[in-house]
Order: sequence, then C-alpha cells, then structure tokens
Amino acid sequence: MTDAEFREAYGQHKDMLHRFAWRMTGSAAAAEDLVQDCFLLLWRNSTAHDPERGTMRSFLIGVTRNLALKRLRWDSPYDELEEESAVCGPIDPAGRERGELVAQAVAALPPLQREALILAEYEELPLEEIARASGAELAAVKSRLHRARGNLRRMLAPLLETKGTYGTGR
Amino acid sequence: MEPGDDPKLGELLKEWRVTGAPPSLDERVLGRPKPWWSFLLTGSLRIPVPVGVAIAALLLVMAAALLRQRPAPPPGSPVSLVDFRPVDDPHVRVIRGPL
Repeated sequence: MTDAEFREAYGQHKDMLHRFAWRMTGSAAAAEDLVQDCFLLLWRNSTAHDPERGTMRSFLIGVTRNLALKRLRWDSPYDELEEESAVCGPIDPAGRERGELVAQAVAALPPLQREALILAEYEELPLEEIARASGAELAAVKSRLHRARGNLRRMLAPLLETKGTYGTGR
Repeated sequence: MEPGDDPKLGELLKEWRVTGAPPSLDERVLGRPKPWWSFLLTGSLRIPVPVGVAIAALLLVMAAALLRQRPAPPPGSPVSLVDFRPVDDPHVRVIRGPL
C-alpha cells in the first residue's frame, strides 16, 4: 500500500470508524485510540486486506470491532459478549436529555448486540456487510439486531411516547 | 428497510449524535506536516548494515592513508637569493649520444 492509498483510505473511513468506536466504547478518547490503532495496523500490515474477501470499509470495521471487543474484555473480563438471555429493564429518564438516555441504553446492550445495532441503525450498513465485518453468519446478525431492538424498546419505552427533555417530576 | 425495523425507535436512536474524527486524530495517524528543512535538524537515515560497515571501513582506510602520508617538511630558513646569478647564455645545447 502506497502512502497515497493509505491517506485515501484514512480520509474515506476515519469519521465512520470514529463514530462506531465511540458508540461501542462510550468514550471519545477511547475511540480515538482505537481508530489510531486500526490504521497503524493497516500501515504495518497492508497486505492483511484482501480485496477479494471484502471492501476496505468492511475490513477496517472488522479491525476496529476486534480492538473494541478486546478492550471491553480487558475492562470487564467476566462479562459475556453475547448474552443471548440479557433482558434490559427500563431506564430512569428523570432530568436528562433524550440523546443522553439513548446513549445509556445503547451502552447497556451486550457488546455483540450493540455492534450490530450501531452498524445497522447509525451507519446504515447492509446486514451482509455487518456479517462480513463481524465474522458472523447473517442469521446471527439478524438475531442480535432483533434482540437489541427488543431490549432498546423496553429500556426506552418511556421515551417512545414523548418528546423533549424529561423533567424531574417536581 | 430490514424486517423488524421500527421507524419510531430508529428516530429516537438518531437523537444520540457523536462527531467524526477530530483533527488531533489526523496528527496522530498522519503526523504533523513539517517544513522540508526540519530533516536537517531532526532527520535520521536508515541504512542496511552491510552498507554501514562498508562506509565505516572506507573511512578507516582513508584515515589510515592520510596518517601514512609523508609529513610536509618543516619550514626552514628563508631561501636566500644573494648568490643567485642569471644564466649568461640562455641557448641550451642538446647533446645526443651515449653518456
């Protein structure tokens, strides 16, 4: 990979990867570290991306998600990534902005559900590309996405009927 | 739209906005652009070991050759031209034959 090709790949995908990493980790600083590590890996091992097996975007998302999951495992070594049975309860919306509540709800999802939801809802990637990037079967991605939406509907139930900032009830 | 999509939920999710990559990331990944002359102050060169060894050997040989050169004669007394006489007959006769 030439310097120009590297710069082009960075320019095209940096924003999307940063948003994805931020939503996965819940931290802008962690997202910056992850995206830097992702491109460092690409620079050091540019042959790792095989165009026959997928686009550069899928490859970079795959690298970033692996780094993010590694970080999550390091931070919470006893938490399961999949947690098929995880059922999240409603969150308390008192006195907080809707965006903040949504962030809290997404962060409460098990990591693999969160990853599928972020890529599908926020980055609007096709399910096939999500499956390729996460190294999972299409059916597994659909199932994660279905469970993620179900969990979010339960967590955000109070917000789905209303608009604006929640009051403290006083 | 995929099966299971919920437009209302989708709209709500979009209320969590995050920004793209900050300029600090550009610097971290691509490096800060430097003026060309900064290489003279901070640059470094990577050379293969055989080339480095060859250059070092060449320098040693050149240093040794310089040290072995005959030293220049020490400056003596200045040349005196007191006894100098120009040649009377500038026509030189060439004698050919066995000496």
